[in-house]
Amino acid sequence: MSDPFKPRPAFAPWDRRELPGLFDVEESARRVGAYKWIETRLFEALGGWIATVPELDVKMILGRHCYHHAWHAELFDKRLPELREMNTDRLCAPANDAMEEFVEALREPDAPELTIEKLVGVFRVLIPRKIAAYTFHLNGTSRVTDAPTERSLEFILQDEWNDWREGEMLLQSLIDTPEELERAIRRQHELEAIVVRAGGITGLGTIGATTEVEGAGV
Amino acid sequence: MTVVSIVPELFTLIEFDAERIKEIASEVAKSLAFPSDVDVHIEVDEVLPAPLNSSQADYLGGRAELWFTGGAFEDTHKGRHIDEVLARCGLGEALLRVKDRISGGFEDAPNDSEISERQRALWDAYADGRLTRLEGFVVREPRRRYVYRLECGFNDVADAAYDQLWASDATTWADLLEIEARLMEADPTERDAKPSARRISLRQTQ
Amino acid sequence: MRKQLPPEMLARDSRFVRTSIMDQILDPRNRKISERTIGPAKLAPGRPASADRARNLMHGIFTGEIQALEGAGRTAFDFDETEAPFALKLDMARQCWDEARHVEISIKLGEWMGTEIGEFTEATFLYEAACAPDPVLRLCGVNRALEGLAIDVFNTMKEFGDVSGDPVLEFCEDWMLADEVTHVKMGSDWLRRLTADDPERRERALDFQRTVDKLFSLGGFRGETEENPIHLARKMREMAGFSTTEIDEIAELSELARAEGQAAVEAAGSA
Repeated sequence: MSDPFKPRPAFAPWDRRELPGLFDVEESARRVGAYKWIETRLFEALGGWIATVPELDVKMILGRHCYHHAWHAELFDKRLPELREMNTDRLCAPANDAMEEFVEALREPDAPELTIEKLVGVFRVLIPRKIAAYTFHLNGTSRVTDAPTERSLEFILQDEWNDWREGEMLLQSLIDTPEELERAIRRQHELEAIVVRAGGITGLGTIGATTEVEGAGV
Repeated sequence: MTVVSIVPELFTLIEFDAERIKEIASEVAKSLAFPSDVDVHIEVDEVLPAPLNSSQADYLGGRAELWFTGGAFEDTHKGRHIDEVLARCGLGEALLRVKDRISGGFEDAPNDSEISERQRALWDAYADGRLTRLEGFVVREPRRRYVYRLECGFNDVADAAYDQLWASDATTWADLLEIEARLMEADPTERDAKPSARRISLRQTQ
Repeated sequence: MRKQLPPEMLARDSRFVRTSIMDQILDPRNRKISERTIGPAKLAPGRPASADRARNLMHGIFTGEIQALEGAGRTAFDFDETEAPFALKLDMARQCWDEARHVEISIKLGEWMGTEIGEFTEATFLYEAACAPDPVLRLCGVNRALEGLAIDVFNTMKEFGDVSGDPVLEFCEDWMLADEVTHVKMGSDWLRRLTADDPERRERALDFQRTVDKLFSLGGFRGETEENPIHLARKMREMAGFSTTEIDEIAELSELARAEGQAAVEAAGSA
């Protein structure tokens, strides 16, 4: 048996976590606030759409996903005070005007014939953008100092991947004709155009690029 | 050709057409090769709506005596209106069972008011199985299976008996009693021997 | 997307057929049936047409679950956070997931009971209770009144599954029952929190709950005798946080609704 009192390295050889990370406390809080804002707007939209989609399978999946995103919002909400943001509503805000415009456009479809438009906005535009932003945060932050955010992001990303896959499969099952394909492409193009202007869900630099984009607003 | 009569001749509470029911019954009798020298008398109790669905089929005094609640033929999407597919199926089940009573191995079976719910469930499974193999009848097998399980038990012995009855073209009342004994052994839960949804009990007034 | 979606705009596929509760109330057969002695109405094996009555009720539960899912979703969307706090919205999202599961369970249970989606008609009065402009009224109407009714219905169905030896029905109803107890608690909790400083609002919400409770006891649908198809589940309601006084009040409302229903049938018959 080894000697329990013999000094060992504080970090195991396979533990490659490093200091510092890309974000200080303020930047991490700003990003988490933007995450909470987008997750909240998303779960509200999914909840509202349940009654407007006639497809029974879509209706039930929206109900399930609505809770997933609410849980993400709750995790981010709980993290904010730990990042010195006691007023959790202050940072729960869109990164810029274009992001607000994006959410308006995303949530706009209402009619029962527009299930493709609703799902494209969520599963082909927003969720891929969230996966990108969360992955960047996970890879860029210090996994020592920002470990609680990292842990939440790991759980959340698992949900996002699963939900994205399910949503994409729903869309593939709904898009049967050239007209439907055209609708999906057009919708994706419209929304991507706005989110490109926004620079991503946390604004410019969402995934590290910092080139200013014209029309993002502040 | 089978002579069909119906009571009431004019429905007042529901939108059923007595003549149309008679036509359907004649078509059904023909497609089942029901003996043409046996008259068919149908009574529909228009007071009793879906889902209070029930029927009786007896052979009395040389005549087929059929009784149905209005619910047994009622369109589940449009209350008080007839669902002809359902009516055709209900009449088919009833006439097949009367045919069984005349010369199909059920000559010694008691009248419907005397047989238990379980015996009735077994017989209905046998009737529906045959009906489903004929042209022109839309039998809702999953419904039949549930009604059957509720009376005969949710177990493998009951399921095997159901499959046997469903596939059979030559079961007798004696076979049915033998199956019933097998079911009792598999599920000894005491069941009310008295039939619950029958003409007499459902037509009594306060 | 518009706020406040009216019941006539609920989206359904072509299998679903909508009905009006008035058609059922005005059915000329009602008066004649009430003159018959067709035995106790409580759902039990051996009672007249119990299989078809259970299948019909199961389909009603299924459409009710869809509307509960839609109602919870709309409450998460229709209000901003000044009207419905963030934590309330989180609870509604959680309820969406629960109700979506209940829809799934109901579909599978319906299949088990030999019922097809859309086999029976759908009335939208459950969702109508989820259309109130005040979130507290919605929580009282839906979470306390209707989810309370769901406790009674599921408990009745669970007992039916138990006495008829149906292991699937009993298993599923028991799980759904557990969720409904949580939903009722949620409603009671938010009623208390949102109206702590506003007794008038609280009274309005409780009035709305009483109206919904009475509506869903129409014609003696729910009560405590063998004449009621659905039985008031006192023990489960206590677990969900209803006081004995509140349960007694629902029992009284049910009896009142039964008497009024009877009078309406008689009036329609003599008109």
